[in-house]
Amino acid sequence: MSLNFKQNYFELFSLPVQFPLDKRLLAHNFRALQSQHHPDRFAHGTDQERRIAVQTTGYINEANEELKSPRLRARYLLILQQVDFELCDTTHDMLFLMHQMETREALEVAEQADNALEQVDQIAQQVKHGVASIENSFQQHLQAGNLSEAKDAVLKMRFYERLNDEAKRLQEKLEDEMFA
Amino acid sequence: MALLQISEPGMSTAPHQHRLAAGIDLGTTNSLVASVRSGDATTLADDKGEHLLPSVVRYFDNGAILVGQQAQAALTDDLQNTIASAKRLLGRGVADVKTFNGVLPYEFVKSDSNVPLIRTVAGDKSPIEVSSEILKTLKARAENTLGGDLKGVVITVPAYFDDAQRQATKDAARLADLTVYRLLNEPTAAAVAYGLDQEEALDEKIIAVYDLGGGTFDISILRLNRGVFEVLATGGDSALGGDDFDHAIAEWILQQLGETSADQQTLRKIMVEARRVKEVLSDKEEVNVSVKGFEVSFSRDQFCQLVEPLVKKTLFACRRALRDAALEKEDVMDVVMVGGSTRMPIIRERVEAFFEQPPHVDIDPDKVVAVGAAIQADLLAGNKPDSEMLLLDVIPLSLGLETYGGLVEKIIARNTTIPIAKAQEFTTFKDNQNAMTIHVLQGERETVEENRSLAKFTLRGIPTMVAGAARIKVTFQVDADGLLNVSAEEQLTGVKSAIEVKPSYGLSDNQIETMITDSMTNAKVDMEARKLREQQVEADRTLEALDSAMANDGDDLLSEDEKKTLSEARANLVAIKASGTTEAIETAIKAMETAAAFYVARRMDGNIRTAMAGKDINKFKD
Repeated sequence: MSLNFKQNYFELFSLPVQFPLDKRLLAHNFRALQSQHHPDRFAHGTDQERRIAVQTTGYINEANEELKSPRLRARYLLILQQVDFELCDTTHDMLFLMHQMETREALEVAEQADNALEQVDQIAQQVKHGVASIENSFQQHLQAGNLSEAKDAVLKMRFYERLNDEAKRLQEKLEDEMFA
Repeated sequence: MALLQISEPGMSTAPHQHRLAAGIDLGTTNSLVASVRSGDATTLADDKGEHLLPSVVRYFDNGAILVGQQAQAALTDDLQNTIASAKRLLGRGVADVKTFNGVLPYEFVKSDSNVPLIRTVAGDKSPIEVSSEILKTLKARAENTLGGDLKGVVITVPAYFDDAQRQATKDAARLADLTVYRLLNEPTAAAVAYGLDQEEALDEKIIAVYDLGGGTFDISILRLNRGVFEVLATGGDSALGGDDFDHAIAEWILQQLGETSADQQTLRKIMVEARRVKEVLSDKEEVNVSVKGFEVSFSRDQFCQLVEPLVKKTLFACRRALRDAALEKEDVMDVVMVGGSTRMPIIRERVEAFFEQPPHVDIDPDKVVAVGAAIQADLLAGNKPDSEMLLLDVIPLSLGLETYGGLVEKIIARNTTIPIAKAQEFTTFKDNQNAMTIHVLQGERETVEENRSLAKFTLRGIPTMVAGAARIKVTFQVDADGLLNVSAEEQLTGVKSAIEVKPSYGLSDNQIETMITDSMTNAKVDMEARKLREQQVEADRTLEALDSAMANDGDDLLSEDEKKTLSEARANLVAIKASGTTEAIETAIKAMETAAAFYVARRMDGNIRTAMAGKDINKFKD
């Protein structure tokens, strides 16, 4: 049975088109689709069947990754509403950008501290709170139909994502150094 | 014409054919082959009753090759021609191998490709060739035991293996003339072997697989839900294993001897003694170390202190994997131990303390991976059509591209479920830039130097534009085995370039047949393209049918006017086939079939008359 590629990602997993996500339902329906389409199910199929299986599961995986990530899910919801995202799009909220820079600097300082790992863990926790509040404001803007504000929230999520990556990278580096 | 087939509900219409399949654990120290026979997965023994095949290959000047026990026996006598631990070299480049200098006693030779070769009396051998000898031996063992040709195998690899290492493993299998159903992550195989998927009690459970083998350490966090295994996160170290515990003891022995270095022969002897000491300490509290007449006692406590940094390293990797999976230690419901090195009491104790529960140790940790691979091979061979089991894998290391300033932009993050395709747009940074180098990297670090370089290729023919105007879409595509394809396309002009990532570390291209190269850049577009191609083929088929019919009896059955009508319909279809959409071609095919309907009917009448001519009418009554 072939997959209907014309469905959007939410429809693919039989989920409501909205920002709040039932993760268990997504996981459940994801597995059900994989069970049906995975290339391993066609180990003895024709070349075409296997190629289609690779493409189909690739599509299912892509959709799953996109919905699992709050930022990508938010971005996708806006794209469904014809909002364009350009390569060079960025937020111009100076206050926000200043705050981002401060947090980055705080990470750099923490790295040199005696209890570095503890401090980095703490900042990572703050970043988590920041992410939660920006997601909250995205949801409000989306519901109110303020698409350009909602888009700005998505762009800000990207900054938090990079901060989060940086914190995680530092955590790993500090852990590695503990036995160097 | 298809006939209706009547069969018992649930029964297949053809008698079931059992396909011979095997699971292979290609290990650093030992390798095994297992198969499912009469419903049970067991490892297969050689004619001496040995299950473990030492992963050692010895080359002779007359071209003879010995694999396994006999080769291992020569390790101290003929070490230049006796290759052990080839798995550590699989998929590694010349630069990586330099770090093994002093650790491995081989003479490495540069080759045209970036594959390091080992100089032996039988010529220069790549790690891929060495590994293929081990696979050939296991293949022969399985075919002798099972009494037939293997249809396919599942080969296990450490979850931590990168793209080059996976590709090299597949290349070794191809050299051994094996069909690979699937490369399977070793820890996943172990979870399958324990049959944890058979327990119905819970909706969902989290399993940690702690795998400390001879040369690699892996920690994997799996989620199991009604037969579906999902790898949530993997971590570990592809250069940390039981061998390092041996090395730690060996270094201690060297210190006791008061020597800082020794000749390779002595080193080898010390290594053998170190391994013995380690194994004895698994059962005893104390052991006598004896090398070259030197004797000293060594306790388990001393050993534990010596290897503490190694043990800690594995536990930190566990913590990291849990964080990647966004889980806490308390979420883990089963811990599975894999690899001979988990026999060390210190490992069992520390893992139990970390996860706060006793780990599963019932299946021989050396055999558990091969057993799981055999179960999966049996399934993929189609011998268990009712099984619900499905293994979903993730990519172990992030994949990315070099961007301006020697930084790496990640395209696919580690622990993304595969197969997957992801695209990202880049642009030119100089005015009139006509080419762009795409440098593909694997790893978690921010800068190019700290990651593994997988491939480099250049997209040429970018039209002249100001900086930032070009839109170059780079697509990464990873198949179910974790192997990567990269393509780049300039969006405005459609200039394309693509590469299968393997040339840096694999065999040369003409030795390797092409893998799946079809683009899955954009599944939707590609599916549409495929439908269009199929409709075009259908049009060709219809045209050919008409042409051959007309060549056959067109002059007999058709008037000139009728011929003219048909050739007009034909010309219409030819034109639309060349430029029309899928739907337009479909319509045109139908139109031509309608136009030719009278001719088809007339031909059928003719055929029946021919068929019946000269036959006794009574024959048709039976």
